[in-house]
Amino acid sequence: MKKRGSRFYAGIYCRILAQDLKSKMSYRADFIISTIGMIFTNISGFVSFWILFRSFPSVDGWSYHEMLFLYGFSLVSLTPVQCFFDNNWSLRQYVYSGDFIKYCFRPINLFFYYQSEVFDIKGLGQLAFGIGTIAYSWGKIGLPFSPLMLLKLLVFLVTASLIMIALQNAGAATCFWIQNSFYVLDLAFRFKDYAKYPITIFSPVFRFIFTFLIPIAFIAYYPSLVILRPEQVPLLSWLSPVVGIVFFWLSYKLWMYGASKYSGTGS
Amino acid sequence: MAPIIEIQNVTKEFKVLNRREGLKGSIRDLFSRNYKIVRAVDNVSMTIEQGEIVGYLGPNGAGKSTTIKMMTGVLEPTSGQILVGGNVPYKNRTKNAQEIGVVFGQRSQLWWALPLVESFKILRDIYQIPEKNYQEMLDFYQSLVDIQPILHKPVRQMSLGQRTLSDILAAFLHDPKIVFLDEPTIGLDVSMKAKIRTLVQALNQEKKTTVILTTHDMGDVDALCRRIVIIDKGKMLYDNDIDHLKSFFGSYRTLKIRVEGELKAQAQAIQKELPEFPVTADEEWISILVDEDKAKVIDVLGRLQSSCRITDMQLQEISSEDVIKKIYEEGVK
Amino acid sequence: MKLKKYITLTRAGIIEALQFRLATVVMVIGNLLYLIVVYFLWKSIYASAGTDVVNGMTFSDTLIYLVLATALFNFMEMYTVWEIGRSIQSGKIVLDLLKPIEYRKYLFWSYSGTFVTQFIFTFLPTFIIVAAVTHGGIHMGVNLLFFVASVVMAVSINYSIDFLVGTVCLFTESIWGINIMKQVIVLLLSGATIPLAFFPEKLREVVELLPFAAIYDVPLKFLLWDGVSMEPHEPWCMLLFQLFWSIVMMVLSKLFWKASLRQITVNGG
Repeated sequence: MKKRGSRFYAGIYCRILAQDLKSKMSYRADFIISTIGMIFTNISGFVSFWILFRSFPSVDGWSYHEMLFLYGFSLVSLTPVQCFFDNNWSLRQYVYSGDFIKYCFRPINLFFYYQSEVFDIKGLGQLAFGIGTIAYSWGKIGLPFSPLMLLKLLVFLVTASLIMIALQNAGAATCFWIQNSFYVLDLAFRFKDYAKYPITIFSPVFRFIFTFLIPIAFIAYYPSLVILRPEQVPLLSWLSPVVGIVFFWLSYKLWMYGASKYSGTGS
Repeated sequence: MAPIIEIQNVTKEFKVLNRREGLKGSIRDLFSRNYKIVRAVDNVSMTIEQGEIVGYLGPNGAGKSTTIKMMTGVLEPTSGQILVGGNVPYKNRTKNAQEIGVVFGQRSQLWWALPLVESFKILRDIYQIPEKNYQEMLDFYQSLVDIQPILHKPVRQMSLGQRTLSDILAAFLHDPKIVFLDEPTIGLDVSMKAKIRTLVQALNQEKKTTVILTTHDMGDVDALCRRIVIIDKGKMLYDNDIDHLKSFFGSYRTLKIRVEGELKAQAQAIQKELPEFPVTADEEWISILVDEDKAKVIDVLGRLQSSCRITDMQLQEISSEDVIKKIYEEGVK
Repeated sequence: MKLKKYITLTRAGIIEALQFRLATVVMVIGNLLYLIVVYFLWKSIYASAGTDVVNGMTFSDTLIYLVLATALFNFMEMYTVWEIGRSIQSGKIVLDLLKPIEYRKYLFWSYSGTFVTQFIFTFLPTFIIVAAVTHGGIHMGVNLLFFVASVVMAVSINYSIDFLVGTVCLFTESIWGINIMKQVIVLLLSGATIPLAFFPEKLREVVELLPFAAIYDVPLKFLLWDGVSMEPHEPWCMLLFQLFWSIVMMVLSKLFWKASLRQITVNGG
């Protein structure tokens, strides 16, 4: 048996992805309706944002365009979780019905195998909105542009996205222990809505919670500082890639541990 | 050669929640819960040789699935030892998975939206099947059943029979040493059942694949298995040849007769005459279950002829279904 | 008694909901966290604005409005669209249609048990906390009676809209897309995301006439009403407005369901 390395996994993922996309395209109506739904969601987000800032010029020293940047940053960093880990939403049903067991018989990583089954193409719309927002606010704020900045942006976007993935994994994994864990997953998912606000609006206690316990501040706020306020970047911002990786790893371990405890209800 | 599966004194216990009844009970459950330990599998041992087809039988909730889950590495036994192809399945789940195939009659493991052939290609990559072996296997499949009509059909559009067939083909694709079939023929029509039995038989013959078959359909067992294992309430009841089962259980045959007069009344009269055998009557026949260790059928017939006029008769061997039913109901004496 | 069969469904729902105690705890925690985020966010927004009253709403008004909008949302969200969509796709709908209760009613009453548990475990605690945090920002008087009546109609309107949208699932498999569109529109135009008072004047005038405003904006206005801020006839007009929409939406959703069902059975969908 050959070793199954990352190239092996990438190959499998691409094969499943390509087939999956092909079959999705054959359900055109479904695809179009979902896309419209996604566009609606994003437009509604922008409309609320706009209505809010019509009445208030700034929040806690953050200008309209800076807030917009944070918003765009959170949209982009939330894209991977939407695209690659959407099957987490079904985990609860698979576990509840006992169907989860069908994933347990393959000679490859269980977590990978499970997540590879679904690629959610709707996330790409969000990505487009996010990139557009970042570019627009970047220009309006008048930030300088250099390849180094772009690199920083990319690195921090990728690592920031790991936080949300971690939150969602952990939320989904609770279904191995709790029945009807929908509320847990939903709660974890709702945290994303809070990610787009500057952490400084909170009192110290909650600043601590949202930094170290439920690290949503790393989804947009800390990494954005590197771009927006380069003259006074706190240490935590530089740490955000590490935090992302650590939390992702922890959530992965939790997920796998839950799966190994899984006994399969029903016969 | 060492046996392919060795199970020694395996026990599996679960903790289950005792729920209270009614609205009050639910509110009490909110604050205090009591659990009980259920022993799903109780000190089971067996060894299975390469190439065998073993029927694994038992009523619902007997512990069959739990045993299978332990053999496939999904569950860890509470105590006892399991070796599958020399591996401890629970500790080497992925390594074990390479050597086994699993089919659940009602749960397809294929990619729902993809055509079958694409699922096969993904499996080829996952199991790292060499291209040559993969092609040979497809050709071999084609020689057994006509797979062309389903090969390019998405699984979600298949009939239940086609889906089961596809799942079985997928399970054998990487030429595993053992295949677990869990109720493969459930809900299928007669011709599909026959097709699937022939297919499994041929794959077992050609590839020397060990097959563990759980089913409630005795037709599957009669067609495929020489050996059966029966389990109930977690305990092993029987492990031997299927032929042995019948003699082991006494040599019963059913004598069916038609007599003049009202059948129900006649049956009661006969029962008085033959108190040692159970007598039943339906619309057409009076059935007498004769234990040949006590009296030969021909003698019983002789005794009856002196008392009533027999217009027609039939003799039935006891089927394995009847025997299994008796075992479930009474256990092994 | 005719009501008895409905009450049985409610009771079964309560028992079912109580099976999941951890879920209940998580829901309560979730609402608390949301409350905290909204509190700090708007506190700093108001702090940056430099005035106490923006668009006629004070900080505590906004807090009450938004937090209780979420509590109301948790209470009213019945996942009807998902429920209908799934039972259509699984074919379970056929069994449901054979039940001796009208499907529309059956679905509502099977869920009603959750109303009771949600009310006790999420709405009530949130209400008490918000009342305490805002130091009497919620006026305790006759307005609460109006609020209760208003919520009852809001539930009815919300359910009718859900059922109407759920019916669309007879024609398409895209439950997610249908549901998200509905949710986005309802939440935005009802004021659940941002109080309608903050909307630009022209937009607000239109939005306030739509049925969505009757779901969140009207009940919440009753909560913020301190007995003097409205003309005597105004509360009654608001209730009438809700009544109007609840009747219209009920009729519409019933008709649409009937027509769709006929279409499907004729074409053998």
